[in-house]
Amino acid sequence: MAAPLAPGSARWVCSARWVCSARWACSAAAERPWRLFGAMCLLRLPRITQPLEKEEEEVAALMEQLELEKSHYSDHEIRKLEEEEQLRRKKESLYDEDEARGQTVIMAQDLEEKWEQKFLRFKAAPRITDADKSNDRKSLNRKLDSNLMLLVKQKIGNQELWLLPQVEWQPGETLRSTAERAMATFLGDHIQAKVLGNAPYGIYKYKFPRAIRTENNVGAKVFFFKAYLQSSDLSQAELKADYLWVTKKELGDYLKSEYLKKVNRFLLDL
Amino acid sequence: MFALLSFSGDALLGCHRSYRSRPTHGIGRFKYLLPKEVPKRKKEKVQMKEISEGTEYQYGDINIQMTSYDVCLVEHFAQYVHRLCNRLSIRVNESYAMPTKTNEVLFLEERGSKMQLDAVLTTHQRVVQIRGLSSTFAPILLEIIQSNQPEGVHLLMKQHTEADFKSRLKSRPELEELLAEMS
Repeated sequence: MAAPLAPGSARWVCSARWVCSARWACSAAAERPWRLFGAMCLLRLPRITQPLEKEEEEVAALMEQLELEKSHYSDHEIRKLEEEEQLRRKKESLYDEDEARGQTVIMAQDLEEKWEQKFLRFKAAPRITDADKSNDRKSLNRKLDSNLMLLVKQKIGNQELWLLPQVEWQPGETLRSTAERAMATFLGDHIQAKVLGNAPYGIYKYKFPRAIRTENNVGAKVFFFKAYLQSSDLSQAELKADYLWVTKKELGDYLKSEYLKKVNRFLLDL
Repeated sequence: MFALLSFSGDALLGCHRSYRSRPTHGIGRFKYLLPKEVPKRKKEKVQMKEISEGTEYQYGDINIQMTSYDVCLVEHFAQYVHRLCNRLSIRVNESYAMPTKTNEVLFLEERGSKMQLDAVLTTHQRVVQIRGLSSTFAPILLEIIQSNQPEGVHLLMKQHTEADFKSRLKSRPELEELLAEMS
């Protein structure tokens, strides 16, 4: 747990500092040279567990075998053994009349066969879906065992970049509502997402290139917020720009290195 | 007299107690020197501990409830959550189990003779109670617990209320009737 813990505590400290500086900044609004953006990192939670490692599987098998050897017989198994005894005794000798009174209608063996047939009829949903095979990065059905994040293509300055959806902060609203607005602009209003907490998870600041830089506009700071996608039904969402759902490992394909470094700090990938 | 008794090798052999007339009578006594112990009262009524309300930056009492059909899974997960909170120095008030609920599932097949296949499902619930979770850390903790959640375990985090406390106690209808009659 060391890796996720360290950024967590560091984040806590830096978010406290952010709170102080934001309060100070709001009072001196005119002289601040930084433009603020609120970005939303929308996560789709994993739907199935990750496959076990080799050592984990070996340990699990060993423990199962140990437990099986140490455990007692269950009711069903005792019943089955008794009935097998009865059958065996019937075949060897003729004690039918004495034991016929305790004869049950359904034998334990029959029950087992019935359960087996039922189990064979059950078909589990596939773990690797079609979207996985076709590597369709736009669908939500891909990679059911890891977190999926929303990336959107946005125009910053004169470049088209892949980013987490962000929108500029307007004075008078909280940064969290900025992030929610960002989500709403890209995905429409009917998104059931749960924002976690009022504090941002990370910050990325960059200075504008010298050509655009002025006294009042040194650079921009982007504050990241996290939200969980509650429903996986995005049919109502009107996606205006290019979008992708990617895992943490695939982020490197799309994001710039500095940006990626800051984003990776707050992403938990277990 | 005493010498004769010791030679006879009787039951009085292992007896070193001095008689009352001896000067060393009562030589080993010490209980009268200890402070007086208050006799313990038999069964104290289970009092509800104060439920702290959170301030703006801290949550009060929070219950993390884990439910599942599988006992081992839910118990191990509750242990994991408890130890995680210990490591993250979050104060854990108590960690208890709610009574298990048993459900019988009956299938009514209507092919020929009406058969009833039974299945017995037991639902187990474990609760870990936490106090003093700061609002900046709460989403991180929630994320860690959610990403480590095993399959088949439902997770619920909610504020602790009096109703939650009362649900752990059994109601005594006869006592309530008598009390109603008295008042």
